[in-house]
Amino acid sequence: MAADRPALAARSDQEIVALARAGEEAAYRELIRRYQRPVFSLLYRMVGDRELAEDLTQETFIKALNALASYRPEFKFSSWIFKIANNAAIDQLRRREVPTLSIEGSPHASTPEAVEATALQLGDSAESPLEAVEARELGGQIEAAIARLRPEYRACILLRHVEGCAYEEIARILNLPLGTVKTYIHRARHELRQALGHLRG
Amino acid sequence: MTGHPARHLSPDDIDASLAGALGPEARRHLEECSACRELARAERELVRALAALPHLAPREDLAERVMAAVRIPDPFALRALAGAGRRLLRSRRALAVAAGLVVVMLGAMGASVAWTLAHRGLLAALSDWATGEALRWAWVGLRGAALNLLERPELGGVRRLLDAPALLALISALGSLGYMSGVLALRRLLAVPGRARHAGW
Repeated sequence: MAADRPALAARSDQEIVALARAGEEAAYRELIRRYQRPVFSLLYRMVGDRELAEDLTQETFIKALNALASYRPEFKFSSWIFKIANNAAIDQLRRREVPTLSIEGSPHASTPEAVEATALQLGDSAESPLEAVEARELGGQIEAAIARLRPEYRACILLRHVEGCAYEEIARILNLPLGTVKTYIHRARHELRQALGHLRG
Repeated sequence: MTGHPARHLSPDDIDASLAGALGPEARRHLEECSACRELARAERELVRALAALPHLAPREDLAERVMAAVRIPDPFALRALAGAGRRLLRSRRALAVAAGLVVVMLGAMGASVAWTLAHRGLLAALSDWATGEALRWAWVGLRGAALNLLERPELGGVRRLLDAPALLALISALGSLGYMSGVLALRRLLAVPGRARHAGW
């Protein structure tokens, strides 16, 4: 019998994975629903190209969902899927130069479509118009500063402070020693502080 | 902070400060040192701004695109397999019977291979005999079917023809002559345009 949406939404990732392994299609859809935004956000901020991030998100989910049998439930599902996503992003960054992420679109974009595709689209919030403009400006500057970080710093800082992963989890996701992860995050924060020094000082 | 209170905060101390878990010595230092206070404030601001970055949304059809490429295991087959497995492992006796069956099957397969290798000549003779018999019976069957066909009343003309060998020979000769004439006419018809083209060069 197929599990319905509200019942699935209340279950843990591990339970959803168990249902998916048992052939429940709704469980696959629930995993996509839960992780599509975090995975897409991570990939978009890593590669800085909307279309590319769309493709990599699709590739990440297909890879993860087709390999559910190899997922070990003692680890968090989020760590597992972030690891697959990060590997996809790193492969892409190694393969070719991707445009810089910017709220105004890539400086290399030659057509309005390309500008739109490379421009960061920030989500809506419940702030006042003035706060929204300020937040958008700050958000845009932070996004631009993150985009200028080295990819390994970028992955660490996004996983730590945007996705809220613990240091140990990041070490597992990126396959790096714990000390290296801490160093990368401290250096990334230092670089970001310098880049954003003129803001809210 | 683990050392002297006069020493500036380390990156780990800053992390502890962000998590609200700063030790008493480090807290005392923070109250006295304006540089560390400013650093802790800037880090807190940065971390807050990073955490406020929105999750970005992929295109709405992501789930459909992913599901089109995901292989979902068949729940019926999985249940049947799991049920069979459970039944098999339910008691030691059932397990012993299953193991015995596997041993018998493997033994039979091994014996069959060994016997075949030891009696290759006999098997070749048996194969020749079986082929000869099959051909003989096929010929008998074909002849019987042809004779039965010729016995049908509507094929009386054919039977009369077979009873007059001279007429049959004449018809065969005329047929062969007609066939050869047709072939020659066709060859001539096909050869004429080619020759004409060569002659023109």
